Amino acid sequence: MPEYIVGIDLGTTNSALAYVPVSDEPTSVTVLPVPQLVSAGEVGELDLLPSSLYVPGPGEFVEGALALPWNQNPKYVAGQLARSRGVENANRLVASAKSWLSNQNADATQPLLPLSAPEGIEKVSPVEASRQYLEHLRAAWNYTHSGAKFDEQSVLITVPASFDAAARELTQRAAKLAGYPDPIILEEPQAAFYAWIERNPNWREQVDPGDLILVVDIGGGTTDFTLIAVSEKDGELQLERVAVGQHILLGGDNMDLAVARFAEQQFLQRGTKLDAMQFHSLWQQCRAAKEVLLASDESGAAAEQPLTILGRGTGLVGGTIRGKISRDEVRSLLLDGFFPVVGADAAPARQRRAALMEVGLNYAADPAVTKHLAQFLRQSAGNAGGEDFARPTHLLLNGGVLQAGAIEHRIFEVLNSWLQQAGANAITELRTETKSADLMHAVARGAAYYGLARTGKGVRIRGGVPRSYYVGVESAMPAVPGIAAPMKAFAVVPFGLEEGSRVELPQRRFALVVGEPAEFRFFSSLTRKDDAPGSLLEDVGEDLEELAPIEVFLPPQGDGQQEEIVPVTLESNVTETGMLELWCVASDGRRWKLEFNVRERAAA
Amino acid sequence: MSRIGSAFRSFFSILFSGILPEDIALEFGYTKAQAAPVARPVEIPKIKVSDGALQMLQVLQRDSRLIDFLMEDIASYADDQIGAAVRSLHSDCRATLSRHVTLAPVIDGVEGTFHKLDRTNTPDPNRIKLIGNVPASGKTDGGTLRHRGWQVTSVNLPALGKQDPAVLAPAEIEVS
Repeated sequence: MPEYIVGIDLGTTNSALAYVPVSDEPTSVTVLPVPQLVSAGEVGELDLLPSSLYVPGPGEFVEGALALPWNQNPKYVAGQLARSRGVENANRLVASAKSWLSNQNADATQPLLPLSAPEGIEKVSPVEASRQYLEHLRAAWNYTHSGAKFDEQSVLITVPASFDAAARELTQRAAKLAGYPDPIILEEPQAAFYAWIERNPNWREQVDPGDLILVVDIGGGTTDFTLIAVSEKDGELQLERVAVGQHILLGGDNMDLAVARFAEQQFLQRGTKLDAMQFHSLWQQCRAAKEVLLASDESGAAAEQPLTILGRGTGLVGGTIRGKISRDEVRSLLLDGFFPVVGADAAPARQRRAALMEVGLNYAADPAVTKHLAQFLRQSAGNAGGEDFARPTHLLLNGGVLQAGAIEHRIFEVLNSWLQQAGANAITELRTETKSADLMHAVARGAAYYGLARTGKGVRIRGGVPRSYYVGVESAMPAVPGIAAPMKAFAVVPFGLEEGSRVELPQRRFALVVGEPAEFRFFSSLTRKDDAPGSLLEDVGEDLEELAPIEVFLPPQGDGQQEEIVPVTLESNVTETGMLELWCVASDGRRWKLEFNVRERAAA
Repeated sequence: MSRIGSAFRSFFSILFSGILPEDIALEFGYTKAQAAPVARPVEIPKIKVSDGALQMLQVLQRDSRLIDFLMEDIASYADDQIGAAVRSLHSDCRATLSRHVTLAPVIDGVEGTFHKLDRTNTPDPNRIKLIGNVPASGKTDGGTLRHRGWQVTSVNLPALGKQDPAVLAPAEIEVS
């Protein structure tokens, strides 16, 4: 029986750990101050562990300067020092590892990062980097909780709702490598919602059956949408996650960076070229300036904020360069750039599809979050109410960038203009008193609360798998040279398949050759929600997205076996920890698990 | 070597130096026992009183560049240029200082108002300095609080490692 429930937010730029004791008494969630190197030779405790990994070079630091209380000589540096030293020497800095886990064009198990590292610097894989952050958090826990070993606690890790099955599996693989016994995977927007419930014990008074809650979670590197429907059963309120959005690789960091790049141009026009460290300082100042300039209450604040770049070298005053940024500039950069006022029929620009894709991250082609939101609500129409687009009644916002009140205000303005045009009621915000303090930790806190809910001590959102999944089946047509046989899609996982449930698919048999790997093309859809398992889609259209192929290998058995071809049927299930699994089942009951083939994905 | 010679040399060598001459010892088949490994005393890092002061300077330079500022000749710069730099430096220094020491006033009163003292005792000279028309006894009912004083209520500095405390900031060389 675990003593604590531990929720971990493994973020793109920051990670956090929150925990709650398992007890019958009402308890509250605590955020762990994480011991980490804050500068060479200095260990300090911070509420966040920056998701930065630094690969120190030989003789780069004084002996013993990288020692942690639990490791005298660590191979990598994770956290604050990694981030600050990485500004000075970017060649050895691994950042945004999480974004690589969901990258369709690269194999996240291969040593890819730092992407720009010159020859001779050891690279690590995105999975390995994630493992290092998780390992640091585990060690930090064990160091601060000597009486309650991490491995004996119940641990939850959050992922973006838009992570596909392969990205979730890579996250879990990183956790396994970090020595986590059996972590449960939870979606970040749901975690943000749980955090709201935890903060509002009277939450049942704020929502009614029939309500539809929109969660907009703008993290450092990703933006995630989720719809949660409220219903009633036997007099109790029930929550069901009915839709999640596409993966949008665009977050608060991109927004701050846009402001910093704009300010940098101003310095450049006056003939000052900033170096990497000066730019970093500018970035930090722009982040702070944005929060002041876009605060909810603009009346008292100045219309512009100074930006000061101190001189490099010992000439501090003499080398100081001054600049400024005005509210109008920030508004037009952020509000009009990332949150433009658009109609409910707006669609984001399509992703560029170069024939030969350079290895790199697939940043969202269109930075307009409101366009992505409009598209998401249209795709969620039907099953979430509303003919042409889903009409949420409540809005929960999460993410550090929302500390700038004007952004929050703009999201409301745009949503309400859509709802008003459709004749629906204006949307209500789900608020908490301590909102601004929580924006950075809500996901970790909510994960810990969800852990409690799983033990029956709180409400639980039903949801299951947020996509439907298909395997490709070639149609039995005469082969035409040069033309690939048309592909049909065989539905193997229905939308919303819940944890701990299983679907057998006797409709179709596959012949597997012993001793040879068999590969299936694998597809998913966020929008096709009514395909019954076992049904066959005649053509693979736009609404199906191809994922990494999945493969299975039947090892040859002892010499006596003459068997060469095994007929199997497929079976899918979702484990109690939220992982999707596909199995091949032979008639005699033998089973083989299908694995994601990330290598193939990289080559594709 | 003659046996007599060897005997004499051995005799006097042992008598005066306490050892058998090496060549004679070898000749008679003795080998020198390996010197027993003497356990090296565990190196206790010597922390000088000044190290703490240097560390504080190091921290103030690293996190807020105070040394750069104090050592720069600012006479020729215009006030607004200095103002811009100081604004930024001030907030950094303040943050650094409050991260490492907790500061509190010695007397938590309003400067410029009367502050009562105990007439029967001379005030603790560590904490209170009497100025102005100080009575011969050094005891008084009180006076106007001119400065609240500062005291450190807690210090939070990292343990000193193997860094050279005398180097406040390393030189930086950018490789292009």
